[in-house]
Amino acid sequence: MSSTTEIDEVRDAGRPGETRPSRPAPRNEPPARSRKGWRLRLRQDRTLLIMCVPAVGLLAVFAYLPMLGNVIAWQDYSPYVGIANSQFVGWANFERVFTNPLFLDAVVNTLTITAFQLVFFFPVPIMLALFVNGLMTPWLRNVIQSVVYLPHFFSWVLVVTIFQQILGGAGLLNQELGKLGLGGFDMMTNPDTFLLLVTSQAVWKDAGWGMIIFLAALSTVNPEHYEAAALDGAGRWRRMWHVTLPAIRPTIILLLILRLGDSLTVGFEQLILQRGAVGAEVAEVIDTYVYYQGVVNGDWAFAAAAGLVKGLVSLLLVLGANKLAHLFGEAGVYKKA
Amino acid sequence: MSTASILAVALLAGCGSAGAGTGGPEEGDGTLPNYVPLTFAEPDVPGINGAPDGYTQLPAEFERQFPEAPGSGGTYTAMTPLWGAVPKTDGNQYLESVNEAMGTTIDFQITDGTTYGDKLAAVLADQSNIPDWVSIPTWNFPPRFGQAVGTLFEDLTPFLAGDAVAAYPNLANIPTDAWRSCSWNGKVYGIPFPAAAGQRNAAFYRSDLLPDAELPTTAEEMLEFVEENHADGHWGSNDLWIFATAMFGVPSKWKVVDGELVHRVETQEYRDALQWMADLYATGAVHPDAVADNAADGKQRFESGDVVITADGVGAWHEALSKMRPADPEWDMAALPYFAAAGGDPVLYKSDAASMCSYLKATDDDAQIEELLDAANFLAAPFGTEENMTITNGVEGVHYELDQNNAPVKTDLGRTEVQPTFMFLVAPPEIVADPEKPDYVEARVKWQNETTLHEVEEPFYGMRVTEPNQFASLDQPFADLEKDIARGRKNMEDLDSAIETWRTSGGEELRTLYQEILDGEADEIADESAEVDE
Repeated sequence: MSSTTEIDEVRDAGRPGETRPSRPAPRNEPPARSRKGWRLRLRQDRTLLIMCVPAVGLLAVFAYLPMLGNVIAWQDYSPYVGIANSQFVGWANFERVFTNPLFLDAVVNTLTITAFQLVFFFPVPIMLALFVNGLMTPWLRNVIQSVVYLPHFFSWVLVVTIFQQILGGAGLLNQELGKLGLGGFDMMTNPDTFLLLVTSQAVWKDAGWGMIIFLAALSTVNPEHYEAAALDGAGRWRRMWHVTLPAIRPTIILLLILRLGDSLTVGFEQLILQRGAVGAEVAEVIDTYVYYQGVVNGDWAFAAAAGLVKGLVSLLLVLGANKLAHLFGEAGVYKKA
Repeated sequence: MSTASILAVALLAGCGSAGAGTGGPEEGDGTLPNYVPLTFAEPDVPGINGAPDGYTQLPAEFERQFPEAPGSGGTYTAMTPLWGAVPKTDGNQYLESVNEAMGTTIDFQITDGTTYGDKLAAVLADQSNIPDWVSIPTWNFPPRFGQAVGTLFEDLTPFLAGDAVAAYPNLANIPTDAWRSCSWNGKVYGIPFPAAAGQRNAAFYRSDLLPDAELPTTAEEMLEFVEENHADGHWGSNDLWIFATAMFGVPSKWKVVDGELVHRVETQEYRDALQWMADLYATGAVHPDAVADNAADGKQRFESGDVVITADGVGAWHEALSKMRPADPEWDMAALPYFAAAGGDPVLYKSDAASMCSYLKATDDDAQIEELLDAANFLAAPFGTEENMTITNGVEGVHYELDQNNAPVKTDLGRTEVQPTFMFLVAPPEIVADPEKPDYVEARVKWQNETTLHEVEEPFYGMRVTEPNQFASLDQPFADLEKDIARGRKNMEDLDSAIETWRTSGGEELRTLYQEILDGEADEIADESAEVDE
């Protein structure tokens, strides 16, 4: 590490943004120089790299290695003879996926639920965070914060049971209506209001939890900005509009992109628990369909093909949304170096 | 050769990706264990036509069948379902006492019965983790099981066929039909949990809450019966689909009409049963939680009196009485006699002769299989033996005390620890015995005897046919449709459309396949195929 060239490289690595007009790098870097830089960077970052090894190892074993199992999407797979002995059938499973009306119905239901929740669920944690952040009494803020995020720790079985006990045909509300001589209703079995029901459940369970991230983002806003805005005559709403919202905009966009990536995953447990109550026509989503087809009916290959299609569409949605974010000048999920 | 014939060749040749068994072996062909009945106690309420015998009291003396523990000290894992509170297995004195008496230790993996099928599918898919002994209810056979059974589980034919079963006299005491129900591809793989003749499902009503009830004798009266009893804070009923199918004589799979196979969903009986269910739900008398498809709490709703009529497996009768009577001696329930929808004698299709079959994991170690068969022989000890008493009730003074009528009354520990665990691996021929509840024994045997008078066999009774995998999901739309039509979300036009879809997406091929099996052509095709292969 005593040569002048290596010292220059250390300096380059330490200041990656700087240009060196006196010695501009040629378009096609000489291979020897590039390899040296790579080795040097490895040496420099060895501590960090060693720290990353366990995480990378875990990812490789538990995330990437199992992906090889997706090969069954191209097989007439039977778990009893294994991947090695199952016959390859080309794209037949994918053809079945795209021509199966029940799968297409499940896709439509999934997209409907996700679109509805994007409009009526996604903004709720933001509004909740703005509300809680605006409270001046610390103990009240803490109490509200604790109360609204606790339902996140309830299982879906419990959440659905609570809703059933309150809003079901034999639930508390109907019992009280009955005592008053008013006609009852059963929201839990009504396919027409199912979208509203699952969204309400999601809001009740997870809006408080979602609020925490936005509260964290709000805590980074410099109070001097508020003071300056107030001195300029900005009222409460103006300060929210011109200071608070711009401060949390990157977080909102980041979460929106991540939400889009999950848009084809609308909650397996929540939906399968209520599928029988309202019928498959409105409650069958991609995940429940894959479960019935793969696990219950033993058509694992078809289910794998359907799952792959879902994964691919989700990936495209994330990449598309990220690109869109960059076009609007936002950071998005990641940026190319 | 027709498309279906080609399909059948592929299936039956056994070299394709999906195998199909054409049914179990026949009695007398030397494959099934020879039936050698054993009797240790005479029944006081005899069953007829193969229905279970009833015992309202215990024998004065029990015979000790095994002077010494038959096992050689091995330890094996077993997976069984349980409908109820799963007991702890570590430090469970009941399990320990039976294991000790048997000389073989069975470590149980007990799973909730309502989700057992789902867990089975996952467990069997991972061949490295299959327990040594697996219980599989006949309604929970995983898809492609006929293809898998020979790979995953031991062929017990060499150990049990014909006279070989004489080495295990308690297994020889199990009726032949039950063994046939546990046979695949012409070989015996499973050990039965036998079910006596007579229907396995019933509609029950709370006879203590409706002491003067005039029982219905037609479908119309049944509707009124439910509606009238939706009163005084009680809901009329839970879901009654399984009763409706029996009332209208809906076959479970196929029916032969003029020599042709008609699938259950195509029958008028199925259509009528669906319409009746829609009418039932329309009365508003069905409990809202049942409308919300919550079947898991159905027993609790019935036991608490929240609903007064329910449909359940016949085993629920004893289960509910045992649970409710200690706290409320007046608590009672009764099974409705079956009737045809229009009145008169019903057409009842025979149930499987085995409710469950248990399978031994495939191994090269014959000693292991022999030890497990010895254990099975011990566990199948018939009523009237000391061993049966221990397996049924646990240890006297620990799990039960005998009352003044010489009836075993469970202790608190007995109620917690003594659950159907060993029983779901193998059991002796079904009987109904409960000295504590002689009224139940009489009512149950009488009801079950009555049902045997109207039982008929379906065309593929006792046969295990493994369907090609691409047809596995053909029935799923109907499972959904049955719920949708009952709840008024869909109608008969949707049924017509679903039937048409079923026919065009594989139903007709399936019909042809079954027709050929029925006609005996399948075996010929398989032989031809074997010749071609040679």
